[in-house]
Parts: sequence; structure tokens; C-alpha cells
Amino acid sequence: METGVTTKQLEQNESGKRTLTRNQRRTFTFYLFVSPWLIGFVLLGVFPLLVGLLTSFTNYDGLNLATVKFVGLGNYARAFEDPDVSFSLVRTILWGLANLPLWLVLSFLLALILNQDVKGRGLFRTIFYLPSLIPITAAVTAWRIILEKNFGMFNASISLFTPEPVAIGWLSDYSLPGMTSISIWGGLGIGMVIFLAGLQGIPEELKEAAQIDGANSWQVFRHVTLPLMTPVIFFQLVLGLIGSFQQLNLPLLVTKVGIAASSVPPRPIYLYMIHTYQQIFTNGRYGYGTALLWMLFIGILILTWIVFWSEKYWVYSGASERDN
Amino acid sequence: MDEKPLKKLSRRDMLKLSGTFFGGALLAGCAPATEAPAPVVQPTEKPAEPTAAPVTEAPVAKPVSGHVVVMHLLHEFTEDHVAAFQEANPDITVEVVDGQDATRFFAMYAAGSPPDVYRLQAPSIPGLLARKLLLDLTPYFEASQLIDIADLAPANDYYKAESPLEIGTGKIYGMCKDFSPDCTVFANTAHFEKAGLPAPDDTKTMSYTEIMDAAKKLTVFEGERMVQYGYGYDAAWIDRFWMNILAETGGSLYAAGYEKINLTGSEDAKAVAKWFYDLAVEQVTPSPKNPSPAGWFGNDFVGATASMAQYGFWFSAMAIGDANKDAVVMLPGPTWTGERRDPTVTATGAIMTSATQVPDAAWKVFEYYHAGQPSIERAGSGWGVPALKSQWSLIPQGTDFQKQAYKVLQGELELNTPPLQFNPFIGETVVSNAWNLYLDQALSGTITFDEMLTNIENDTNIAIKEGIDRIIP
Repeated sequence: METGVTTKQLEQNESGKRTLTRNQRRTFTFYLFVSPWLIGFVLLGVFPLLVGLLTSFTNYDGLNLATVKFVGLGNYARAFEDPDVSFSLVRTILWGLANLPLWLVLSFLLALILNQDVKGRGLFRTIFYLPSLIPITAAVTAWRIILEKNFGMFNASISLFTPEPVAIGWLSDYSLPGMTSISIWGGLGIGMVIFLAGLQGIPEELKEAAQIDGANSWQVFRHVTLPLMTPVIFFQLVLGLIGSFQQLNLPLLVTKVGIAASSVPPRPIYLYMIHTYQQIFTNGRYGYGTALLWMLFIGILILTWIVFWSEKYWVYSGASERDN
Repeated sequence: MDEKPLKKLSRRDMLKLSGTFFGGALLAGCAPATEAPAPVVQPTEKPAEPTAAPVTEAPVAKPVSGHVVVMHLLHEFTEDHVAAFQEANPDITVEVVDGQDATRFFAMYAAGSPPDVYRLQAPSIPGLLARKLLLDLTPYFEASQLIDIADLAPANDYYKAESPLEIGTGKIYGMCKDFSPDCTVFANTAHFEKAGLPAPDDTKTMSYTEIMDAAKKLTVFEGERMVQYGYGYDAAWIDRFWMNILAETGGSLYAAGYEKINLTGSEDAKAVAKWFYDLAVEQVTPSPKNPSPAGWFGNDFVGATASMAQYGFWFSAMAIGDANKDAVVMLPGPTWTGERRDPTVTATGAIMTSATQVPDAAWKVFEYYHAGQPSIERAGSGWGVPALKSQWSLIPQGTDFQKQAYKVLQGELELNTPPLQFNPFIGETVVSNAWNLYLDQALSGTITFDEMLTNIENDTNIAIKEGIDRIIP
């Protein structure tokens, strides 16, 4: 596509006024329409990123503009000596392993069930999607009431079947499964909707053809539905992977103790982003904190690349077959 | 036509686009959380020196105008207050930025436009003073028609300083909106009676040992379930309580010069920390292993789940609920050695920033909020002791409980406890965060009590060292 404007490319209209060619007008219109986003991306995305990168090489604490010092790779080196970095990274990986597969499987199963032609499925879809519409703060507050150790409804229900009242710390000792439950409950709806969209894009003829060939329901699912859904699973996996490593709100909200400003999440959910948050907002280590964020970015980038690399082994792509 | 047909996106293209999009989103996560400018930006302030402070010229009597930005809580500095002020001062406009948010304050400061008036608590003052962010308001106070310096309650001494390490006297950098001696204890008398304990006596000062004994007896379990606990305190203020108790012993939490915290090297400090640790071990207070059922021990007390709550007089405005009606008394603050002290550990108030471009207009707003109609409304609400002694008569004493609390309050105020000297080199939650972090591990058995103290000490000392490096070039 030609984009440059030269004298030769200018046409003259009837009044002798120079005007742009149709192609150039289209190019101009294209840039005109994308420019608001582009300007926003540069100013609100690229610029802060560069500031963040610069900050990671300094001892900036939010206020010391007058005494800020360049510390080279010191903040990055420090991360390798900080035992809480490795600890929180392990906890984050455990959180991802607990949350991501369970979320994928459950939301896919739910989508499969609600993709059936049953009466009232619209109502059920709405009901299952509702948790995704509730603000996370409100949702966690409600869950805290349910999972509270001494007076929570969940433990009270369990206590109906035990000789003595139990007090299981779902948000302290067992905060990882506790938080996973909240996360899956809240994320199931959005996961289901995306899987449903994928399921509805599968041509009925393919399923019917398989059934005519004698395939039973399981075989249709295994050899038709599942392969055609792998691009959606891939998409959800990438999305979930990134989200797992960036998780910050849930542990903070689960732990928030009254008006105290210094609540620290319990060790099972002391995630990488929590440690980063502590460094920046409690200790004023903006430089170190942004270095941790950049290290996380590189880590996620590598993981995402691995997932993309694995795509060719398990993600069905009709386009590539057609290309062949 | 020279138009090319649009290429239809394949699934693979869509996935690549999605990857690019989320990659972008991921990158955005690496940006700093605040919109701080690049650290290479030339400073607008001179390098901070812990002994220096900006000089304020005496205010000139002339018409005042300007736009004043106040960072405050909107439910305290209300729209009605703003409207009333602007009506009386038509040449001054007021914009209230909601919150007492240090991060937002930092971001506004870094962007070169800090608020003119900023709500804060006393522990922040030495640090901000060391960074030369506070405006000396002494000339304004001296010239004020609304505020008489002699009328300032002693808690306002937190806002006076000779230097960041000499809080209590000297130039005036701000004042409280209200305050309370914060070591007083609210007790549920019905719980005491049920536990077979003598009724709490508001004329007698309990020792911390007595508090611990009572807390154990007041804590009730049904099976594994804790249905009532003995004692609640604000763990976010734990270092403030340590400082106060150690001051009773004649010691200090920090070494001379405030360049180190001293926990492991001081038997007194270890004993004080052990007392708070034992509260958690004995499960007589909320802890990381056994969080507050209502999310905050204040609510637990009102809901009669907590038997004692250590809070200042301000809590009397909300201490009574349906569950503990007619069963609440306010008790004097406990003592460690018998040398009683009861300082305010918050002294919540406001300062004016040294970068303000409209000091005269900002002072008018500051003066109105702290000595005008808003202060009169606060004084009559019972949410704390007025910062001006002349308003103490407005403290409500209508009910028996209010009278009882007021009587105890008088005793606490008579102690005249001098302000605590907070560390200018660290943020106000550094120690309490380290406490929460390592207390969890100690209660889990992964570290010992001594290791917990060592870890808190190491983390704090690193933070102090970094603070010194940042403040003093």
C-alpha cells in the first residue's frame, strides 16, 4: 500500500486544487481513526513503561527526587538475594496450578452443560454469569462472612456433622484453597461465556456427520468438539496464565483487617505481586518494586512464549490445513 | 477501483492478535503504580537536610484569593464545609481530593503539584519535615484571629519541631483536628462478671500483666471455635505502643540518632514484644492465624465478641451497640512499670506543604477547618478531644457512659504525656508490617520468637538505612 505523499501522486480536481488520491485518503483516514488510541497508548502505556524501567535502576522512593541515585542493576541483583522473592514466586506458581486448571475445566464443563438444548438454559446462563458482574470487593466481603473461621457459615455447616464446633481457617491456614474457591466462583461466568461462544461456533454438520458415521456422544466430544475448541482453550490458558501471575487484589482483600493499614496476607497466599506491593507501598522501594515487576514481565513472557510454542502440538487450526 | 479486499482473519491471526493484545496489557502492568515522572527530572526542592525547614514570610493583611487543593477525607471536610467557606471567602475556591493517601500524595508531589493542605497522622511528620515538605506556619498562627497558640491542646506538640529529631517544641507546622490519649481501654463489664472477674475499676490503673490475665479468663472457646476473645489492640500501631511502654522504662525503641531499631539488644524491648506475641499465642487477641471475626476488633467489641479494646477516647462515640448496651466502661491506659503515660499515637490533623503557591489562601482554609465551624461540629460529636482547649466544654456528657468516659479522660489528659519521637527515616507502617509478616511465621512454628525479632530488626534497619541515604545525600 502506498502511503507517501508526493507531487506525482497528487491529482488535481476540476477547480485546479490539489487533492489526495483515494489510496492516500484511506491511509490518512486509517491513521486518523487509530491516532486517539495510539496517542493514548504512547502517553499512558509506553511512557509510563519507560519511566518504570528507568525507575528500576534507581533508589527512588516516591519523594526523593532531590536525592535519587542510579543504582545500576542493584535492584535486580537484590531480588536474587531476597528470600521472600523466591518464596512468593513458589506460592504464585502453586496458586496458578491450583486455580488455572480448575477454572479451565469447570468453566468448560459448565459451558458444555449450558450449550445443551434444555429448557431455561438462558436463565441458568444468566445465573452462572452473575458472579462475574459483582464487584470483587463486594464478592470477597460476602465470602469472608461465609468462610470466617469462628462465626462463618461454612464452618457452622460443617459443625452440624461434628461432635464439637470446628474452626477451620479457610482464610488463614488454608487460605490457598479458600482464595481459589473465591476466584473460581467469580471467574466461572466469564470463562463459561467465552467457551460457550466457541462451542456455538462449531458447525452442527460436523457433529452430525460424525454421528452418521456411528460416533457416540463421547466420541463426538473427543474427536470433534474438543479439537475445535482447542484455540479457545489456548486463548483462555494464555489469559489465565497472565492473570495468575498478576494476582494482587484477592489476597489483599481476603486479608484486609479492619482499618489497619498494615495487613499482610498469610504465608500461603503471600504471592509475588503482594511482595512487590509491600516493597513499593510499605517500604517506599519504588525502584526495587519496579525491578521486580520487570522480572515478572520477563518471566511471564517466557512462559507465554512456551505456551505459544506448544500451540503447534495441540491447538487445532483449520487455516493451516487449508493452507496446505 | 484500487481498493484491496480485506483479508479475513484466520483463527491463527486472531490468536496472534490476542497474544499481542495481552502482551501489551502485561507490559502495562510493569509500569509504576503511580504516575510519577522519571526520576531524572530535576528536583524542584533543594536536597533535604534533617535540620533545615523552609522559611515562611509573615502573612500580609490583604485580600486573599486563590485555588486551594486539600487532600482530606470527604466525610470530614464535607461539601457543606466547602460551600460555607467559599460563601464567606468568595475569592478562594477549595478543591477537596478525597483520602489520606500517601501514595497519591507522593504522586502529586512528584508531578510538581502537591495538595496545599494535607491530612496526616503524627508519625508522618518527622519524615516529611526531613524532606522539607512542610511549611512553617508559625507566623500564621501568631497572626491568627481564630487560633490562640496558648489555646492549642498539648497533642498539637506533635506538629511543633526544632528539627525532624526534635519533635515537641519549636516551629509550628500544623495542628490536630482532634486527638485522644490512645492507650485507654474499653471493657465489657458483663463479660467480666460472667468470667467471675471483679468489675473493672475506672479509678485503678491495670498493669499489662493484669490485662493479660484478664484477657485469658475472658476468652471463651466452644470446641475449636473462639466465641469471645479477651483483648483487641490495633496491630498497625504496635511500634507506637512499644515506644510508649519503653518510654515508661526510660528506654527507647530506637538507638540514638534513630539509625537503628533496638529489639534484640534490649531486654525491655524483648519483654514488651513478648507480651504482644503471647497475646497471639494464647489466642486472646486477633492474629494472622485467628483474624478478627468482624474484620476489625472495634466492631468485635461493639458486637460483644471482644471483651476489651484498647482505643482512645474517640472510640467512646461508637463503643456501645445493641450487644453490649449498659455494659461498657472506659478504663485508664494500662501501665508497664507504674510510671503512667498515655500519649496520643495518631494526633490526626493537617499540614500545609512547602510547595504551596497560595499559602495565604491555604491558611484561610486550614484555619477555617481547624478553628471554625467544622471544628465546633467535631467537638460536639464526641469523636475525639478537640484540638483547642477552649472547645473541650463542648464534649458531650449527656449519658452516664459519656460522663464516665469524660471523667477517665480528664485523668489521662492530666498525665500530660509528651509526644513520641517517631523515626523520620521510615514509613509509618514499616515496623507493623514486619511484625504481621513474621508473627504469622512464628505462630506457624517456622521461626522462633527470637528469630522473629531478629527478622523485624533486620528489615527495619535496612529500611532505616535506605531512608537515611535517600534523605541525606
